Amino acid sequence: MLTPQEETRLKQIAVKVRQNVIRQIKAGRMGHIGGALSIADIVTALYFKIMRIDPKNPHWDRRDRFVLSAGHKCLALYAVLAERGFFDKTVLDTYGSLGSKLPGHPDMHKLPGVESNTGALGHGLSIAGGMALGLRMDGIDSKVYVIMGDGELAEGSNWEAAAASSHHRLANLLVFVDRNTLQISGRTVDVMSYEPLEQRWRSFGWGTRVIDGHDLGMIVKASSEIPFEEGKPSVVIANTVKSKGISFAEDRVEFHYWKVKEGEIEKAEQELLEAGRRLDL
Amino acid sequence: MSEMKDPRQIFGEALVEVGEKYSNLIAISADSSSGSGMTPFREKFPRRHLEFGIMEQGVIGFASGLATTGKMPFVVAIAPFVTSRPFEMFRNDLGYMKQNVKVVGRCAGISYSDLGPTHQSLEDVAIIRTIPGVTVLNPGDPVEIKRVVHAAAALNGPCYIKLGKEKMPVLYEDDYPFELGKGVLVRDGKEVTIIATGSVFPRAHAATEILVKDGVDVRLIDIHTLKPFDREVVIKAAEQTGRIVTVEEHYLAGGLGSLVAETLARAKKSAGIEMIGIDDQFASNGPYEELLGLYGLLPDQIVKTVKEFITEKVPS
Repeated sequence: MLTPQEETRLKQIAVKVRQNVIRQIKAGRMGHIGGALSIADIVTALYFKIMRIDPKNPHWDRRDRFVLSAGHKCLALYAVLAERGFFDKTVLDTYGSLGSKLPGHPDMHKLPGVESNTGALGHGLSIAGGMALGLRMDGIDSKVYVIMGDGELAEGSNWEAAAASSHHRLANLLVFVDRNTLQISGRTVDVMSYEPLEQRWRSFGWGTRVIDGHDLGMIVKASSEIPFEEGKPSVVIANTVKSKGISFAEDRVEFHYWKVKEGEIEKAEQELLEAGRRLDL
Repeated sequence: MSEMKDPRQIFGEALVEVGEKYSNLIAISADSSSGSGMTPFREKFPRRHLEFGIMEQGVIGFASGLATTGKMPFVVAIAPFVTSRPFEMFRNDLGYMKQNVKVVGRCAGISYSDLGPTHQSLEDVAIIRTIPGVTVLNPGDPVEIKRVVHAAAALNGPCYIKLGKEKMPVLYEDDYPFELGKGVLVRDGKEVTIIATGSVFPRAHAATEILVKDGVDVRLIDIHTLKPFDREVVIKAAEQTGRIVTVEEHYLAGGLGSLVAETLARAKKSAGIEMIGIDDQFASNGPYEELLGLYGLLPDQIVKTVKEFITEKVPS
């Protein structure tokens, strides 16, 4: 699906998106970094290859929609929206300040490109399902993309939404489960088991795939092939690494919410700079 | 004797009327369509009627998402199951997201009298009115139900409409003065003001007739809009009559009585306030009229409460 040139370009953008995430943390000195970095590659692929959007016309009625059900991963959403040109990158430097357009969970009325107010877990899939249903009723061929956390799946309301989405045959809906395997209290499957995860979704009437959530080629391929099964909503279980891209934070639960210590920001910036250099950025 | 009408049937008729007027209006059922009077809408607009089964949290989110695409969903079900159960969805997906969704809670108050507290709704106004930007409506007459449904549909934003279950007398003419956010001055009077809302408004109305016959100069105000609340009509009643009796099929905490007390306190006005409603308890179960009688909501009981109240000393 992706040419080698396209893949390199997307990898470069993913580095920039991660740099934008760190830029916000630098401004606010704390934030939900782990999940933001685990979905950085997925949002990069969506916003720079998959989704039909126009940053100059964020309310275009034929646009594809993106709902970040795990709203605490919003640093990645802000990062990719800024990179895509929905607003000026200097807005990223306001993270953590009074009345910032970048709250700790996204607000659609504050920032162009944000489609819903998520943060309380277990809401996003229902909202996205309503969007998918409304678009279909109007005969608009737009698609609705959702990112959920794996810890979030313990919320029962998700399974209401999963059932309704298959009942109403929402083939224009694609969910990514960001399976970074960590939540605040530890390994997600130890805190509240969700396995066998793929079978759960299948039994709710969804088409499923399991991919490496940091492989841009696989993300693009899966996103381009929905619905995976005719008349069914689709879910990608994306195996990811929490805090991906920052070596000292990767797969460490302490970085679910990062309170920055002396020297850490500089170290993270340096690592991303080097990652960019390796890609001739 | 006034004609008695079923509030759910009237709501169903009103929904068809607004459905004809607004092509973006859709009806959403949580296994609650026929019981909510939505059968005529479903028959007339089958493609605009969506069923979600007993999915009372998710259905609010779906309605929110539908509204982002320009639809105007009416979500209708038994009152507690669209208010207290999905409160966070109401708060975030409709209130915080400012979506044009109308939530209708039917069989509210203690009208599911035999089914007990799980199916009764005595806190819906208290909790929903804390959500910024949500209009809260509680019509007390069949004509008023229609006016409220039309007004809610004309408004671009989230609304909660509370409906009872028992048949109600038609007290208003079709052209009576209705304005969203304004109380209806049903009878002017100088001695005491009765302020009533929703399903028990007819009983307050009947009590007023008895009181007037007995020589008490009662002012009667019907509050169909609990949010935004008509502060002016309350302050004027306090100033001009000195005594206010509130009548509601709701907990005293957070409902109409609270609203009146909050309004007067914030305006630094004093008046005697007597609140008739359900105090801090889960209501009992049994026949509706008898249950109303347990909480002093029958006309004769309201008359007695008012008569006793007007002999008491109140702050001037």
